[in-house]
Amino acid sequence: MMTWTQEHPMTIVGLVLWAVGILWLMPGRRASKPRPHKIGVLIVALGLVTFCLSCGKTQSELADDVMFWVFAIGALMSGVLMITARNPVYAALWFALATLSTCGLFLLQHAPFLAAATIIVYAGAVIVTFLFVIMLAQQSGAAGYDQRSSQSLLATISAFVLLGAISLTLQSEKIDIVRPVVVAADSSADSAPIAGNMSLTFNLSPEPPVIVPVMPGNVMSKAKGKTPVGNLKGLGKSLFGDYLFAVELAGTLLLVASIGAIAIAPRREQGAI
Amino acid sequence: MPEILITLLTIGVVVAAIPGVCNYLILLERKLSAWMQDRIGPNRVGPMGLFQPLADGIKLLLKEDVIPPHVDKVLFLIAPAISVFTAMLAFAVVPFGPVNDPTMPSFIRFIIAPGIDIGVLFIFAIGSLGVYGVVLGGWASNNKYSALGAMRASAQVVSYEIPLGMSVLGIALLSGTLNLENIMKLQTDGGLLSWNIWFQPLAALMFFTASLAEANRLPFDLAECEQELIGGWHTEYSALKWALFFLGEYTHMITISFLTSILFLGGWSFPFIAEATSAYPGLWLVKLMILSGKAFFFICLMIMLRWTIPRFRFDQLMELAWKVMIPLSLANLVMVMFYKHFGFSQWWLLVGSMALFGAWGTISARLREAELAERPGYVKRKKIAPAVAHAGHTAHH
Repeated sequence: MMTWTQEHPMTIVGLVLWAVGILWLMPGRRASKPRPHKIGVLIVALGLVTFCLSCGKTQSELADDVMFWVFAIGALMSGVLMITARNPVYAALWFALATLSTCGLFLLQHAPFLAAATIIVYAGAVIVTFLFVIMLAQQSGAAGYDQRSSQSLLATISAFVLLGAISLTLQSEKIDIVRPVVVAADSSADSAPIAGNMSLTFNLSPEPPVIVPVMPGNVMSKAKGKTPVGNLKGLGKSLFGDYLFAVELAGTLLLVASIGAIAIAPRREQGAI
Repeated sequence: MPEILITLLTIGVVVAAIPGVCNYLILLERKLSAWMQDRIGPNRVGPMGLFQPLADGIKLLLKEDVIPPHVDKVLFLIAPAISVFTAMLAFAVVPFGPVNDPTMPSFIRFIIAPGIDIGVLFIFAIGSLGVYGVVLGGWASNNKYSALGAMRASAQVVSYEIPLGMSVLGIALLSGTLNLENIMKLQTDGGLLSWNIWFQPLAALMFFTASLAEANRLPFDLAECEQELIGGWHTEYSALKWALFFLGEYTHMITISFLTSILFLGGWSFPFIAEATSAYPGLWLVKLMILSGKAFFFICLMIMLRWTIPRFRFDQLMELAWKVMIPLSLANLVMVMFYKHFGFSQWWLLVGSMALFGAWGTISARLREAELAERPGYVKRKKIAPAVAHAGHTAHH
């Protein structure tokens, strides 16, 4: 704990400021008396700037840099605005904007399929369904309990402890961000140990694809050039070749869940609308 | 000419051309509707009413822009912008003429963003965002008719996205790519007999239907539905903001028509006139005309469908998506997989599509009859006896 705070004072300070600002901005118990917004916005902005500065970034092209910061800050700000918004419809819209910004980051990482799929599923379907439900349920305006957040202190603490743990781990371990790339077997010897640390994907094929660091720098750096998973063909081969078991498992899980949802939903003769 | 200038030029031309084209499509819609209903249609401004769109445009620009006091102002203003923005953005990856044609002048390019690997997917992603315009406009208007329209729109668009995407999956499997330029090239190289319509007729029908629903066109315009909801989600809108919504809708129509022509009708390919081997000066212009002509055909089809098929009821709309089109598109996909795996002749896909269509029609009719029979007061329809046997009795009735 001590070494962390000594090594990354800026990250810690940024995170704490950010958390305090969010706590300030979150609609509290007394919805009628909101705290002054300007102070909260200032604290959040300070925290965000400190956090972003502490993350640092490797050299890259100017256009990429500008796009990266636009999307990254857009995503973070929309996230903050989403949880502090008083109106559920605005919260859903900020959620949509956060998703779109994240998709922009995916695009910068040469993952267009992931970006398009995320837009279709989240921005195009999930959030539209949220909006639908909000409109259907609250035609006479939002109820009082919908305008304030319950347990805002606990939620903020747990979220920021998680965020802090992730960012500090990524910074202090000094691991290069890795992505699964299938390389020839002979070049894998030295990079294999790192792979165990970072790989979150799981894989049951007899010869696991070797995961190698493809770029220097830290978490914020990005891939250069086309990696095999960057295009649609490579992605398909990877999903339905290397990770077939996981994909099928996830698909089965979703199928079971949807069948279950249909099964437990009340029938019309049981009194559903 | 550097790449970026060409891109800017193309964007400029497209953004400038689309509102003009949309204006004249509205005139076309009014004229076609008039002819279908045995009326004359707009004929006062200019010869044959040709300047009517200009007059309408000026009127919409100069009209008082009413913002009712009870609306959520920010979203009320953003909603029409989202509508136009998403519709225009989706057009970025649609080739609206021949691409990579060596005879073309080098500064002309008929696609804004060439070489997008996920082409079709990009259009679906952006198209799925288009519903925000409708939903937000309806919600921000703070009016129960608008809210009802917005709710209908959100349910409808989310449902019809699924058959829309799945009907194109068959083509993606057949062509091995999602890139629209490559899908077009595969068909233009093979000529008339390699158009996707021969192998995916059912998918073409479903794609066209689902995209009509996505564009909120009749018979799927339940979000607008003048008879029940005044104007649906745009009840509170007036002047230019109202016009922007319609600009979005007509842009959507143009995109759909180009997409259908490219995905299913072979792009610029046309027997004898424009084939892969044909070569004569000005060929690229002919190709452009052919592709635009196909798109124009689909636009006319949409307009005529508007006055042919009555509007669906909401439960019928949902049933069409969930009970008919989604299972059918899945079956179509499985059929293509079988074809790919066992390597049958491609023409079996045509036979299979017809069989699927027939089988599903029979099943649906039977199910409907069974459902009707459950209802109280149902009288079974009498079998129509042969005319000869009944000829003598008719006089007595």
